Amino acid sequence: AVAGQDGQISADELQRCLTQSGISGSYQPFSLETCRLMISMLDRDMSCTMGFNEFKDLWQVLNGWRTTFASFDRDQSGTIEGHELQQAITSMGYNLSPQTMNCIMKRYSLNGRIHFDEFVSCCVRLRALTDQFRRRDTTRTGNATFQYDDVSVHS
Amino acid sequence: MATEMFEPGPSRLPVPAAFVCEVFKALWHIICVFLPRVDKDRSGVISDSELQQALSNGTWTPFNPVTVRSIISMFDRENKGGVNFNEFAGVWKYITDWQNIFRTYDRDNSGFIDKNELKQALTGFGYRLSDQFYGTLIEKFDRQRKGQVAFDDFIQCCIVLQRLTDVFRRYDTDQDGWIQVSYEQYLSMVFNIV
Repeated sequence: AVAGQDGQISADELQRCLTQSGISGSYQPFSLETCRLMISMLDRDMSCTMGFNEFKDLWQVLNGWRTTFASFDRDQSGTIEGHELQQAITSMGYNLSPQTMNCIMKRYSLNGRIHFDEFVSCCVRLRALTDQFRRRDTTRTGNATFQYDDVSVHS
Repeated sequence: MATEMFEPGPSRLPVPAAFVCEVFKALWHIICVFLPRVDKDRSGVISDSELQQALSNGTWTPFNPVTVRSIISMFDRENKGGVNFNEFAGVWKYITDWQNIFRTYDRDNSGFIDKNELKQALTGFGYRLSDQFYGTLIEKFDRQRKGQVAFDDFIQCCIVLQRLTDVFRRYDTDQDGWIQVSYEQYLSMVFNIV
């Protein structure tokens, strides 16, 4: 019903969909910026829109992230602390050094706390960047080469 | 494609003596008139949302919140998530500088900067970028979906480009436009840019 003729949804349609679905539970609905990020994470054809299958995948993933976040948000404040973000990221299978973790915490925390929308934004980008890196590091050396243009597109 | 990169950005603007008088006048205006209007909850700190409401991007849509965040974090010395009066003076000058730049390059006065005008602007700042890259930039930053960038998106584009250049340069020691990084270096790099 939201998608229209082409069967694709844009960022603001995604935002409407997710808000109406109540997937964020008791947390604030997603910002438009986060929705834009979600679309570009799954956007293979560079159309800046998302189709139904991609939406289904996103749905699953979002549920998982919300559960993870809620498990750390014990006081139900809608935020988690820096070290809890670190634990959440590790629990999702990322094995990152303290420096990288610090960088991520700095980027996503406001007054030392991370809100749900920002948490999701962080997870989306971690996943997208990891995919992009893997695509470049085909021989699994742990290193990959990028040029200036690539890094800006991925940012 | 290798690109040569130079030092860009409004921080390089000259500061003539006459400007100091202007700043003084402006600060007085800020204290008496502007600040009370912007700091709606009278907390003494201007938050992201208060600044966002005070700014216009030339359309009826809210000012890009990501740009607001970038600007506030640039001037927020204490990581409090907002700016106090002293810091706000810096914010205001920063935005005024960008307004002047935007007006300079929006040659047809459309209120938007199209691909050609963007090319002029960034070349003026010292960037040497491919034509295709300009298309990518517009695609990435144009939130209005007009194929041109509004004032807030233009600022965000320039901020990100400057960060990208700074960070990339740190890794590109032989300056050939290519870098080789580990997974974690890649993550840190991108999270530092935007």
